[in-house]
Amino acid sequence: MTQRARNWLLLTPATAWFLVMLVLPVSVVLIFSFGERGDGGGYVPAFTLEQYANLPARWAAFKNTMVLAPLGTVAAMLIAYPLAYFLAVRTSQKWKTMLLVLVIVPFWTSILIRSYAWIFILGGRGIPALLEMIGIEGVRLIYTPFAVTIGIIYGYLPLMVFPIFVSLDRLDKRLLEASSDLGARPWATFLQVTLPLSIPGVATGCLLVFILLMGEFLIPALLGGGKVFFVGNALVDLFLQSRNWAYGSAVAVTLIVVMLVSVTIYMRLIARLNTQREDVSLM
Amino acid sequence: MKDNGYLDDRSRAGLHPIAELRGVSKRFGDVLAADNLDLSISSGEFLSFLGPSGCGKTTALRMLAGFETPTSGEVLIDDQVVNDLEAHRRPVNMVFQSYALFPHLTVEQNIGYGLRQQRPRLGKDTIREKVGQALDVVRLSGFEKRRIWEMSGGQQQRVALARAIVNQPKLLLLDEPLAALDRKLRKEMQIELQDLQRQIGITFVLVTHDQEEALSLSDRVCVMGEGRIIQIGTPQELYDSPRSRYVADFVGTSNFFEGRVTASGAGRATVVLKNGMPVEGRVTAEAAPAGEACVSVRPEQIRLSRSDRTGIEVVVHNRIFLGEHTEYLVRNGTLGDFLVLSPRQSELNDGPFNTGETAWASWEAGSAVVLEKS
Ligand SMILES: Nc1ncnc2c1ncn2[C@@H]1O[C@H](COP(=O)(O)OP(=O)(O)OP(=O)(O)O)[C@@H](O)[C@H]1O
Ligand SMILES: [Mg+2]
Repeated sequence: MTQRARNWLLLTPATAWFLVMLVLPVSVVLIFSFGERGDGGGYVPAFTLEQYANLPARWAAFKNTMVLAPLGTVAAMLIAYPLAYFLAVRTSQKWKTMLLVLVIVPFWTSILIRSYAWIFILGGRGIPALLEMIGIEGVRLIYTPFAVTIGIIYGYLPLMVFPIFVSLDRLDKRLLEASSDLGARPWATFLQVTLPLSIPGVATGCLLVFILLMGEFLIPALLGGGKVFFVGNALVDLFLQSRNWAYGSAVAVTLIVVMLVSVTIYMRLIARLNTQREDVSLM
Repeated sequence: MKDNGYLDDRSRAGLHPIAELRGVSKRFGDVLAADNLDLSISSGEFLSFLGPSGCGKTTALRMLAGFETPTSGEVLIDDQVVNDLEAHRRPVNMVFQSYALFPHLTVEQNIGYGLRQQRPRLGKDTIREKVGQALDVVRLSGFEKRRIWEMSGGQQQRVALARAIVNQPKLLLLDEPLAALDRKLRKEMQIELQDLQRQIGITFVLVTHDQEEALSLSDRVCVMGEGRIIQIGTPQELYDSPRSRYVADFVGTSNFFEGRVTASGAGRATVVLKNGMPVEGRVTAEAAPAGEACVSVRPEQIRLSRSDRTGIEVVVHNRIFLGEHTEYLVRNGTLGDFLVLSPRQSELNDGPFNTGETAWASWEAGSAVVLEKS
């Protein structure tokens, strides 16, 4: 077998998978998005832009997604970074593994159960009840953007911690000693050595979390209670409830486009951040 | 500027010590990595720590740099006790064994790193100028904008050196800076290091387990073993007058003949070897050994002869031609194997010797050293 043939053989399973599980469904969705809704729901072939013209009706879902997904990503990153730093730099080898496992443990429980727990904590008999006891009345937490953000941070934290942890753990600790040896205070060492060298981990974590958040529907469904909903919830609604497949497909295609555009912009920014460091002058 | 030897006299004369270790010990759990170290480093000298792997050389260096705190004892820099002074506040810079260059910065940014940390801030132009000078010194001008991974091992080593010297530290610590280089490059860099030290006049403390490197570069060598300082001295002192078998063995190559001391006094002792032959030698330790002892003789101090039938009768067992010298492994029935290094000149007179040939080995009385048995 030639090298070329072997390369193809290596790629065959993945290619087949992508064709059947990605290209095919996306093509179907794309075709459906130009169709019409049948009388009893479902799809009737057609070629019309009517579905796309109707998109503004779902503006709220897009707005929520576009605000809360980046916000949740940044919030998760800000919380994950110190945690990852602590685990990678300040924890002895003995404890590292155990503490890492503790970070993943929540992943072993269904997100459904974990979100229900938050419904109780944020709901009427949870934190608001405690606040009432100390005289603060009328606080509503559940079914607000706040509740959804909390749920997002909680659910996606481990996913953010891991890539950042890996980049910090791989960082040669002698570089930190070298920096200190050259007269940099601890904070200066962090800003000039640790942070720049962990950017790849941060970038990966943010990308992972952001992409998954763009398609999220469970957390808003449970903690947003129909008041704070994402595009994902709109899709569930359109496909499963109102059975308007054509319109649902148009919303889905739009979501994919929005996601591709944001990820492209994001990658450009990260690349810029990396090259900029290359020709930064002496300051 | 200094000559070899010149500085030693100056330092003996009480030149100001730039750094001192006073009864410094460092314990890692069960391991005593540094055991009661006493050492005074003179301003401007080139000092080496020499010893086998794990004997605590790096630990000693790291305590000077401020990365480890001594378990007991005092570290002084410029007459100040600095035990609790963090590394970034010490006027000391280190060249790490693996260089530890910043991969995300250019050559120029790496070298300027220490200067950029200074407060009050240095101007951009000042920094650029000093970096330029440092690059000149290590002969890397023109490489300013290169990334670290675009540099060869030897070049990286020089960047690491420049990054440290640009700050004009009072003390430059070098932890096996040449260990990763191939032999030829290492030789070149050794010469560069020595030139550099003379040029900039900074005190160098070098860690190495390469005795040749330590002997050729240093004003003084500090031989270490199992966390302790075994002997400190100029390379010549260590080579000619080792005070223990450990030093004689570690610094250069030596032959050891065991025997019993029969007489001693006035810095000399007589040892009767196992074959009954009495040998006289110098006593270098504070007290002459009594009872069991060993005599150390350097291979190049032994002369092989066919005609002059004095000394130890041996059979030539192996011969290695080394150009300037020929190395013989010779064997005596009772004393065992030992090495003889004959210079070419004497080879012309009375040699060369063939394998299996019988010869007589002898040395000048002054060249043997009488040491404790172990
Ligand atoms: N951080 C540490 N924790 C525990 N033990 C250590 C630590 N650092 C050094 N040691 C131990 O202290 C002893 C001396 O180590 P050190 O690194 O100073 O040796 P070295 O002379 O530099 O050896 P080498 O030539 O191999 O670099 C060794 O037994 C080592 O295992
Ligand atoms: Mg070492």
